[in-house]
Amino acid sequence: MQEQQYLDFFHAQRNQLDTCSCDMLNAHRDEALAAFQRLGFPSQKVERYKYTDVAAAFAPNYGISLRKEPFLGDFHAVQDLYGTLADVNADGLTALNTMLVQDMVVINVRAGEQKEHPVQITNTMRATAPLMQNRRLMIIAEAGAHVQVILTDKAEAGQDFLVTQVTEVFVGQGAHVELYDIEDSHERCHRFHQVFSQVEAGGHLTHVTFTLASGVTRNQTDVRLIGAGADAQLLGCAITNGTQHVDNNTLIDHRAPEGTSRELYKYVVDQQSTGAFAGRVLVREEAQQTDSIERNANLVCTEQARMWTQPMLEIYADDVKCSHGSTVGQLNNDALFYMLQRGISEAEARTLLKQAFASEVLQEIPLESLRQRLHVLIEKRFRSCEDCKLCKS
Amino acid sequence: MLEIKNLHATVSGKEILKGVNLTVKPGEIHALMGINGAGKSTLSNVLVGHPAYTVTEGSITFRGKDLLAMSPDERSHEGLFLSFQQPVEIPGVSMVNFMRAALNAKRKYWGLEPMDAGAFLKLMREKRKIVELDNKLTSRSVNEGFSGGEKKRNEIFQMAMLEPSMCILDETDSGLDVDALRIVAEGFNKLRKPETSAIVITHYQRLLDYLKPDFVHVLIDGRIVKDGGPELAAEIERRGFDWIKDEVQGAVSL
Ligand SMILES: Nc1ncnc2c1ncn2[C@@H]1O[C@H](COP(=O)(O)OP(=O)(O)OP(=O)(O)O)[C@@H](O)[C@H]1O
Ligand SMILES: [Mg+2]
Repeated sequence: MQEQQYLDFFHAQRNQLDTCSCDMLNAHRDEALAAFQRLGFPSQKVERYKYTDVAAAFAPNYGISLRKEPFLGDFHAVQDLYGTLADVNADGLTALNTMLVQDMVVINVRAGEQKEHPVQITNTMRATAPLMQNRRLMIIAEAGAHVQVILTDKAEAGQDFLVTQVTEVFVGQGAHVELYDIEDSHERCHRFHQVFSQVEAGGHLTHVTFTLASGVTRNQTDVRLIGAGADAQLLGCAITNGTQHVDNNTLIDHRAPEGTSRELYKYVVDQQSTGAFAGRVLVREEAQQTDSIERNANLVCTEQARMWTQPMLEIYADDVKCSHGSTVGQLNNDALFYMLQRGISEAEARTLLKQAFASEVLQEIPLESLRQRLHVLIEKRFRSCEDCKLCKS
Repeated sequence: MLEIKNLHATVSGKEILKGVNLTVKPGEIHALMGINGAGKSTLSNVLVGHPAYTVTEGSITFRGKDLLAMSPDERSHEGLFLSFQQPVEIPGVSMVNFMRAALNAKRKYWGLEPMDAGAFLKLMREKRKIVELDNKLTSRSVNEGFSGGEKKRNEIFQMAMLEPSMCILDETDSGLDVDALRIVAEGFNKLRKPETSAIVITHYQRLLDYLKPDFVHVLIDGRIVKDGGPELAAEIERRGFDWIKDEVQGAVSL
């Protein structure tokens, strides 16, 4: 029973959790506790968890550092929204996060307000013993609001970390939200990020998920298009090697007419690492004239590397335009040889081809400055330290 | 410069080259002709070390070194260049990054510092002009969406950048219109130094009119069966290959 240590911790620390947190978070703990007791960690028999062993990730004994000062934020304006997309009764991990979360970031952009600059939240894990952190984020873009949010997830080397994060994104009528989630951690990090989004009529959401480096990562991305003409763009890229494991599980739920969705995920899976992509696009009966394209393309670089891909399209409306597909392949040998003939070393040629493969996702990224930064980070990621000039220059 | 002796090579277990002998001295241009499937491209691929081809017998010496012991990129650094019959497209790798990687790899091999960005772009500009390759093309991904002729022009542009001592042109003339052929051929002549050698594979006289080969060889069924001067190419243009095949068969049956 991996759950027990978390239940024990919760019971022992309940008082401290409550006193140093806010009413909004505290109000949901009992329901979350009951849900977690009932659901436990999702097993691999659960369809959406079949590629990642959650219980194993939570088995080690992590410390959780709690706030010791009172919480000063006032979340009354948004408290009715909290937990409405992230349903504790649907998922054991959502329940665990809701039960233990003590701190939270809320980005609330008022109707019509256009944020000129992106908001960036950087999480850097740092500890002297194995550490678990439970994070919560809520982004609310009211009607016509415009905001770009960048999350960067890092961790200091040499320690084990476990993160649960639940993010709820409310895109109001005609609002525009870009959410960039970039993990650049290391092989001793486990991360479970669930993002639940909802887009109202005429609203737009771009959600970009980059896994540059990590240990075990499972990102769950659920988007509901609930108003006419709502639009979602999901982009993802995972670069894995060593014994890394990256699982992206997405659901685009078309619940209203004339919605559009575009989804592109690309993986470069090297050495013994494993990648998984499961993307479900659900077009409900009322979602007539939905226009959806989903694509997952993967480069598997070694015999040992593994990639699971499962695009799913489920259509209940009759007047729609939808396509989905996935490919798993190796580096193009003709291209490789062409480069060798021109004198480019095999290692360099491979690097250039991998970068080229990943760059297709970059090209789709609307935020120019981040696109350029990611170019550099990807190049850095593909190069081993000795032939990389990036730190020095 | 290049000495091929009794070269036998297989691809997918099938013997394609069955004892090729060819010597190319510095500054010489050798034309290689022969019917489709004779093994001309196979010979070029073996020379540049394509992994699909296995050498089963024979030797190749290039500038005094054992060519077969070298990796494909070393062969390139040593001065061997192949203008591919069918250049590949490499989406996502820009011409600039590709060329810079190639040039700097060569410089590193010869103990030189990488070229700085400004000098490199200037060099690209200069060389591009020689083959009249459009700026738009060099700012794209390698060969991506290039027309057949543009790809061939791009091959010669790359040759200009790398300044090889031994060029193999595998049907560089195919796909080029009359004007493009002239530009590419004249470009090649402008670029070559007196000591630059070439093996020019072609089915047509027209390219040879520009390049003026010193020798013409005919490859049939994996062997060079006839050697001659430029007049041999002209004769092939007029008469085809049947008379050569007859000659060879005659010789064998004797
Ligand atoms: N990679 C390969 N795999 C299988 N067979 C091959 C391969 N490369 C060449 N061959 C075969 O070897 C033979 C010689 O081919 P090659 O391309 O060398 O001919 P070529 O003389 O260049 O012909 P062309 O004038 O048509 O270009 C052909 O029968 C061809 O099908
Ligand atoms: Mg050929």
